[in-house]
Amino acid sequence: MVKPLHPLTLWMWALLLAVGVVSLDNPWVALIVVGVAVLLVLVRAQGEPWNATFWWSLRIAGFIIVIRALVGILIGVPIPGTQLFRIPILELPSWMPGIRIGGVVTLERLSSSLHEGTIIATIIILFGAASALTSPHKLLRVLPFFIYEVGIILVIASSVFPQLVQSFHRIRRAQKMRGIEKISIRKLALPLLEESLTRSLQLAESMDSRGYGVSRKRSRYRASPWSFRDSLVLLVTVISTGLMVVQ
Amino acid sequence: MVLVMGQTGSGKSSLLRLINGLVPHHTGGILAGDISVDGISTRTVKPGSLAHLVGIVGQNPSNGFVTDIVEEELAFGMEALNFPHDVMRKRIEEVLDLLSLNSIRERTISTLSGGEQQRVAIAAALVMHPKVLVLDEPTSALDPIAAEEVLSVLHRLVHDLSVTVIIAEHRLERVIQFVDRIIYIEGNGETSIGNAEEILHRAELVPPIIRLARALNLSEFGTSVREVRRLTSDIREIQVTTKLSIPQSDEVVIECDAIEIKYQQKIALKKVSTTINAGEIVALMGRNGAGKSSLIETIAGLKKPDTGHVRVRGLDPSAIKGKERRRAIGYVPQEPSDLLYLQSVQEECEAADRESLIEIGSTFSFLNRLVPNISLATHPHDLSEGQRLALALAIVLAGNPQLLILDEPTRGLDYQAKALFSLALKEYAAKFNCPVLLATHDVELVAELADRVIFLAEGEIVADGSTLDVLLSSPAFAPQVAKIMSPKPWLTVDDVLAAIAGEE
Repeated sequence: MVKPLHPLTLWMWALLLAVGVVSLDNPWVALIVVGVAVLLVLVRAQGEPWNATFWWSLRIAGFIIVIRALVGILIGVPIPGTQLFRIPILELPSWMPGIRIGGVVTLERLSSSLHEGTIIATIIILFGAASALTSPHKLLRVLPFFIYEVGIILVIASSVFPQLVQSFHRIRRAQKMRGIEKISIRKLALPLLEESLTRSLQLAESMDSRGYGVSRKRSRYRASPWSFRDSLVLLVTVISTGLMVVQ
Repeated sequence: MVLVMGQTGSGKSSLLRLINGLVPHHTGGILAGDISVDGISTRTVKPGSLAHLVGIVGQNPSNGFVTDIVEEELAFGMEALNFPHDVMRKRIEEVLDLLSLNSIRERTISTLSGGEQQRVAIAAALVMHPKVLVLDEPTSALDPIAAEEVLSVLHRLVHDLSVTVIIAEHRLERVIQFVDRIIYIEGNGETSIGNAEEILHRAELVPPIIRLARALNLSEFGTSVREVRRLTSDIREIQVTTKLSIPQSDEVVIECDAIEIKYQQKIALKKVSTTINAGEIVALMGRNGAGKSSLIETIAGLKKPDTGHVRVRGLDPSAIKGKERRRAIGYVPQEPSDLLYLQSVQEECEAADRESLIEIGSTFSFLNRLVPNISLATHPHDLSEGQRLALALAIVLAGNPQLLILDEPTRGLDYQAKALFSLALKEYAAKFNCPVLLATHDVELVAELADRVIFLAEGEIVADGSTLDVLLSSPAFAPQVAKIMSPKPWLTVDDVLAAIAGEE
């Protein structure tokens, strides 16, 4: 078993690298950062239930890149350059000037869309890695009192996602048995939304009725010590982020 | 120990949540009157400020866990109230012992069984040393053995630690022997509180033990098996051999041949072989995690067995797709709402009619027969549990399936709703000569409804036979009437009455 890092370390790592990636705005560096995140999760994941979050964040990131590229191709102002192919222009009413759907697709246009998509995807993957490696529940325990409401939101938000995945599978199964084979957003979204809302409310109730946020000070049953390794990880991250920002 | 009872949707949960102020602080609404707990009015303080006085365990404890590890979950409330470290250590050890959780203290909560999770939730509430412990249907998801464990812990708390326990429950047969007083919420919202015997004397919803006493015109009511046994010794003298009339059909519908299913390293089903015939109502029982769901899902075709094969009327169920599946297998999931996705009962019914190509309105007329007075415009989420189950059942039966599968159908149903529901299933099985397979923990339901019981343990079939044989052979799974009438082979009140009539 690998000795756990302080819960805050990985979140700060993710936050700092995200800042770095955004300010450097270089997709190749972003891809290297993604590689580091994947490696980190592979090495440190120990089969805890929340580890699965990371693979879902990868999927979502992929989805975002594709959507961003599609939108980039279809809508918007063309960037002049090498023409790749041409798609028909959609006639829009005259009161929608400045928007163009279709037309010439240039290499520059495509690559800039992919570029932006990659940056967004990297941020998602970074936070996916952080939440896959330290359960957000642990993070809650080290957060100071004054961001108590942030704590509630954090716990709820982080537990909603795995629950959504679970409920999704359950509802899909039931609907399959009803003879609905195709995934339909309309048929899934409502039950999913209703369920996750109810669950979130229940969780908030549970936290509240157990006295969360009543006392200004929180004691700790098990201390999460800040170790030398935490400082080391943080130092390396700060330096690399610094380099990226300065560039 | 106070029991809150009433029909589904009569406001039991709201009443419980009033006690620590979750209603109205969390839900909104107008509160008339006042509630005070240990002298503190819930009007003036938020639920959090009552955390040291009231411990509340919700209907579904897994939705209320805030941390990942058992020990951390227990510490959560004390940390929030800034308890010193040595107090926390001491109390956690205490409560781990009290609820025998010591062996799982380091485990991840989501990997625990239902009964264990329920115990963790109770422990997390108890560790605050509350004066009042409030539980909403604490045994509804548990098998009879796990339920008994939880209830005996509660019993001990009341007697040894003088904790006030307030509990809402539908399966009265499980709790009735432990309670001192009952709050009875009637259908029209009228509420009465009184001694257990007093309330049960006139209540509409009563467990089999009271129904038996009423049917036999006993002078006294007893709430425990022991008491009623004493009152009915003369009836056990009856010398009538009840003939068993199980309609036997040789037409095999489901055939399971050496099914084996593994999840990672865990084996869920070990070489399970069985056949189920047309017109049979088969109950699948066993402890939580015995493999019931795996078997049901395999037969429904949602899962392919790793080895062995399943045939439903000669076909591989996992190969049937779309509309065909609807006509072949009817499946009512544990959460009936999973099937529903439209905005009103009417839309749902009409969609079902269209999906199964039958006359518009037939699903609704069936539903109306099952639960009268259901409004077409109601949103499915506003229905009571019983109505929602009926709607799901109506939708599934609209497809006229050749096999009906139900997963844990009677959670949260009161006795009346359950009786209606068993009637509908019996009718279906007899009319269409189709088998019904249901996984359940509800022994009373099984006694009333099933012809045959398959008992699973650790992924293997350990007993398979007529309901009578299987239920009587295991004391934990015997229904109340059988316990009272043992060694006579009677499972239900009707069985007893039939035997008496037979003698006369």
